Amino acid sequence: MQNFEVAVIGGGIVGACVFSELTRKGVNCVLLEGASDVSNGATKANSGIVHAGYDPQPNTLKAKFNIRGNQLYPAMCARLGVSILQCGTLVVSNEENRANLRVLYERGLQNGVQGMRIIERAELHKMEPNLADNIDVGLFAPTGAVISPYLTCIALSEEGVVNGGTVITNFKVDKIEKNGENYIISAGEQSVSANFIVNCAGVGANEVNALVGARQVPLSFVKGEYLLLDKSQKGFVNRPIFPLPTKMGKGILALPTIHGNIMLGPTAQPCEPNDTTVDDEGISAIKSKVILSVKQPNYRKVIKLFAGVRVISGDDFVIEKMPNSHFYFTAGICSPGLTAAPAIAEYLVEKMHEDGLEFREHKFVARKPYISTVDMDKKSLKELIKKNSAYGKIVCRCERITEGEIIDALNSPLHPTDVDAIKRRVRPTMGRCQGGFCLPKVIRIIAENNHIPPENVQLNGENSKILIK
Amino acid sequence: MKKTDVLIIGGGPCGLAAAVGASKAGAKTTIVERDERLGGILMQCIHNGFGLHLFNEELTGPEYAERWKELVSASKNIGIITNAFCFNLEKLSTAHSTMHGISSKKSGNLGIMQENFDTMQGVNSGGYLVSASSVEGIIEIEAKAVVMALGCREKPAGAILLGGTRPAGIFSAGCAQKLINVEGKKVGKRVVILGSGDIGLIMARRLVCEGAEVVGIYEIMAQSGGLARNITQCVQDFNIPLHLSTTVTRVVGEKRVEGVFVAPVNEKLQPIKELEKFVPCDTLLLSVGLIPEIEIAGELGLEFNPVTNSYTVDEYFQTSSTGFFCAGNVLHVNDLVDNVSFEGGRAGECAALFSKSGLDMSNKLEITYDDHIKYTVPKYIYNNKKGEVKISFRVNKNYKRTIIRAMSGGVEISKRPAPAVTAGEMQSLTLDKSKIVNDLHLEIEVME
Repeated sequence: MQNFEVAVIGGGIVGACVFSELTRKGVNCVLLEGASDVSNGATKANSGIVHAGYDPQPNTLKAKFNIRGNQLYPAMCARLGVSILQCGTLVVSNEENRANLRVLYERGLQNGVQGMRIIERAELHKMEPNLADNIDVGLFAPTGAVISPYLTCIALSEEGVVNGGTVITNFKVDKIEKNGENYIISAGEQSVSANFIVNCAGVGANEVNALVGARQVPLSFVKGEYLLLDKSQKGFVNRPIFPLPTKMGKGILALPTIHGNIMLGPTAQPCEPNDTTVDDEGISAIKSKVILSVKQPNYRKVIKLFAGVRVISGDDFVIEKMPNSHFYFTAGICSPGLTAAPAIAEYLVEKMHEDGLEFREHKFVARKPYISTVDMDKKSLKELIKKNSAYGKIVCRCERITEGEIIDALNSPLHPTDVDAIKRRVRPTMGRCQGGFCLPKVIRIIAENNHIPPENVQLNGENSKILIK
Repeated sequence: MKKTDVLIIGGGPCGLAAAVGASKAGAKTTIVERDERLGGILMQCIHNGFGLHLFNEELTGPEYAERWKELVSASKNIGIITNAFCFNLEKLSTAHSTMHGISSKKSGNLGIMQENFDTMQGVNSGGYLVSASSVEGIIEIEAKAVVMALGCREKPAGAILLGGTRPAGIFSAGCAQKLINVEGKKVGKRVVILGSGDIGLIMARRLVCEGAEVVGIYEIMAQSGGLARNITQCVQDFNIPLHLSTTVTRVVGEKRVEGVFVAPVNEKLQPIKELEKFVPCDTLLLSVGLIPEIEIAGELGLEFNPVTNSYTVDEYFQTSSTGFFCAGNVLHVNDLVDNVSFEGGRAGECAALFSKSGLDMSNKLEITYDDHIKYTVPKYIYNNKKGEVKISFRVNKNYKRTIIRAMSGGVEISKRPAPAVTAGEMQSLTLDKSKIVNDLHLEIEVME
């Protein structure tokens, strides 16, 4: 049995941030993920916004960690070698609701958000030519940004691995026992031991808490559905456009992704914990509400529907330690959870340190970012192809992904094996044909690289084989 | 830097014919193909029915491709670059010239007559620079004229806003066709097909032949979008249920497809929720439409037609950017590969003439049409009284008995009775240009 100082349960953005933070402090830790890849829950299906911090009520954990997380993101992304689109965010309103926008502005000031500006109609429509006609005023927060939530989560996990941490996937924790000072954490036949546990299991937070007898947190689940538009729609909006928030959430937005797609959503429908279906009501809700902020999007350019589940616990995050134990848990990390994650990690790691977890001198190893040939200039690309001809062989024509990039992803620190895991890393099947052309090639490359029959290649996790025998 | 007169992007049925056409017209021609071999989608179309019009034979896809490859091999001055993916295309600075006096010549096995032109455009225009990625590096080719022959892609589930889950087992019909026919794999045991376009119908038969059960084909429209012969030979002959005015409403299954919900639709094509029922299956094939692969030309700012989802062309298959040609399925989705090759041949020949001596682009005229017609290819002709022009078009729905008319100057210049005009089958009219006065209007008289 492998022994670790800390076991982080759950490879979403919170778990990955904790894992990366610990490894960089020389702590011997393991990240345990139930699915076949990290970032496979709420992290892969959310808006990817680094919020400025005007939304949460002052003096809440949400406000505190949002502001701090927002400050940490640019340097973290630079360190990880992942993109961050520092485009700012915009909340828009008509004249009648100007006062509500002002409330947000004031709250932002109270929370310590820097650089906010109320922008009037003429300037606003210049910044965003596709705003709805009735939009008169906007709150611009320049510190708001857009990231790829799954790529950032993957990069954090990889960083943890290259800095001495261990990631175990397909590890569905079903038993936790105390053995002296240590916890024995099991998933079926597999077990690891650790002195500290951090529960970052998202939708599964209470199940993990139950295994150690920690308190059950009242949780509710709210589904958010999205429509993803083709890259040809780039420029429809230049930054996330929010309507005024309501009790149900931040409303339906239109936003650019870091890769140049446009995303519309999310809806807010109460749901079962793992219900990521998209339904007609959701699609209608997106269509009817998004036009309150922006002009009619071109729905002929939709390439994908998807949904994620928010886990909500009252009005604030739950970040606690079970009394008299080394068991820490997070629950209800809904929006602005992605933004808050690095700050939550910083806080938790400091708490564990106070609790006796030792930090060690550690020589930081930078993660190697994925090569993206589409972003390279011709000269560098020519040199790269000369070194390795696989970087000249286009597999995914929509996103222009080469065989070399796919092989890199397969041999990356977490050794992903599924088509969707490769997609999240280097984007084949992510484009406008959604794999119609490249899926057979991607299957073949995975099979050859991993020495498995093509029939064993999975789409996303166990029991998701694409071909049959 | 390579230089060529005519660069053809895509080595499928359109590109191969374009190369032959361009070569016949005397141009130094280069084909750039992204796959390892020429033939394009034909190579996965192992069913027959290709070539009836051009070769008077019923060939399979690979056989049809082979015919064109032979014609390419027998042609002069055609360079072929395979395994190369064109990723960038730019127009070089242009200096148009006006030329006079070209001797008449007849060229091409497609029987196109080119005569003396008065005003010529082309020759000294700046041309295009195309960059392609290959295992040997970045290939850069400068061409006087370009024929875009990139075909089309299939609509994914997201494009039809298909709800439910997103498990393994959802394939576009063409992707399944490649997996089965080229890779020798199996995609599923119990299959539902959404959409009755030709690929869907052909794959229904193919799956049955491969031992799968095709539970049903569901078509949202009141009629199939496929050719009549495919409905007979692929569906009826194999007793596959075809459910018209019915659609798949959502997918069920977390890891692998476990089934789909289907429902009949009302006149507005909205599913009737009360009649929704569950159909167990492990695989869903989508044959829900094709989208021309025009993206490479995105930077050129070409005139666009939202009906075809592609660019508009004149009678030379030339887009609004002189010297840039577009034909086959990347221009508008065809039913018959023969027509794709016909268009390619014409586009290749015109591109060659553009590069060698120029094209007559005087008196440009936009073709107009009545409400029964969705679009025409070409959109523009040159009113120079010379030769013939073939106009292809599609109607908006099925009609039992019609008369198709071409009017010019208020006078009927051509008329053709057309029984059973369907939305799924492309129509065409070939007109004698000498009869065209100062306008050209197409009409359909419905005789029901």
